[in-house]
Amino acid sequence: MKRSIIVFLVACLVLLSAGLWIFISFTEMNPMDLLHFAIIIILVAFAFFVGFKRLSNARRGEPAEDELSKKVLQKTAAISYYISLYIWVFMIFIRDRIEFDTEQLLGTGVLAMAITFAISWVVINFRGIKNG
Amino acid sequence: MDNRIKEYRARYNLTQEELAKKVNVRRETIVFLEKNRYNPSLKLAHDLASIFSVTIEELFIFEDKINNK
Repeated sequence: MKRSIIVFLVACLVLLSAGLWIFISFTEMNPMDLLHFAIIIILVAFAFFVGFKRLSNARRGEPAEDELSKKVLQKTAAISYYISLYIWVFMIFIRDRIEFDTEQLLGTGVLAMAITFAISWVVINFRGIKNG
Repeated sequence: MDNRIKEYRARYNLTQEELAKKVNVRRETIVFLEKNRYNPSLKLAHDLASIFSVTIEELFIFEDKINNK
């Protein structure tokens, strides 16, 4: 229950910050900024989905976390970390070829990592975990 | 590894939710177990076997036994 509330709080904080950012710099936004904003919205929606799932489990009297969900999270973290290494190699590779300032590069890299984590979680949650 | 959880659950007239509460896991975990998409820990296997009053070997069918059939 406590962790579900933390998930909601963090998602709300991210949404608020992104909203503030888009409100302040709406007139000078480029397509890349809009893409970043769209990705943030998707990630916040994902966080809300996870939070609601945990809360509904708790309401049914089931644990919010069990051995399967912990294993899914561990495997997701391992896979997304592995993919992230390639993402950063790719980002460094395109840095010299496309006009990207350091802030944009870092922002895109971090968002790509977050999206990778979300996609890995959905895929592993759907496929399940089998040893061997 | 195959299992007979669904069969025993029906025999004991339990829903997935009821069984999940008995072994303190989420309902999704029982769904994944029945669909054979998750191999449980030894503790969960033991808890499930205890609920159905059978041994782990009776509830879970290991691959060498499947191949021998």
